[in-house]
Amino acid sequence: MSKAWLYVALTSFFELVWIFGFNTATQWWHWIVIIGFIFVDFHFLTKACEGLPTGTVYAIFAGIGTVGTSLMDVMFFGEHISIGKIFFIFILVIGVAGLKVADGLDEKKALKGVEDDGVDSSIFGGNK
Amino acid sequence: MGWILVFLAAISEFAGVIGLKKFSENKTWTNGLLYYGGFGIAFYFLYNSFKFLQVSTAYAVWIGVGTAGAVLINMLFFGESKSTGRVVSLILIVIGVVGLKALS
Repeated sequence: MSKAWLYVALTSFFELVWIFGFNTATQWWHWIVIIGFIFVDFHFLTKACEGLPTGTVYAIFAGIGTVGTSLMDVMFFGEHISIGKIFFIFILVIGVAGLKVADGLDEKKALKGVEDDGVDSSIFGGNK
Repeated sequence: MGWILVFLAAISEFAGVIGLKKFSENKTWTNGLLYYGGFGIAFYFLYNSFKFLQVSTAYAVWIGVGTAGAVLINMLFFGESKSTGRVVSLILIVIGVVGLKALS
């Protein structure tokens, strides 16, 4: 469970690395490094989907990529930050946090469903 | 022409997301090809749409449609949870992504 969220963090991080590369590449071999990072990124994206719903992972992947790029533009490439941008970043962060909480609740519910299921007890507790 | 390319990019992204789902469950060449190929073609179409449209607009629409579509596909065809908390959070993410991209 927590391992899957670690993969979500890694795929989001490597996404920002290659986006940064796109903005700064000047030599042909830079592109080879960037493509390497894209493959690493997609590897962790797959790993994250093994432990969490794909919809969740992909939405967070897209969300963090978008927030990261706009913050990167402000910090490294001299874009200005507006109230509007801060507002949408705020909305996005609430959405990502909400999704993490909602998936946690769904998982808890699913586990409880298994415990309550009569079939399981008849298999494991069938000492008649 | 620009919008047709964005549309084709979004369709390819859906293929990529289905590939991602299937590849994460089952590492076959076909699933891997759908995953990498889908996203590869999506970026190709998106990149070409920049010749006709403003980059931020094209990107905002593509990522908004793509993210919403990815989530819906997984809810409808792969049985992912449709709980209220999940749906509301996902809508917030799509609004945030599109708004932020449209402004940059």
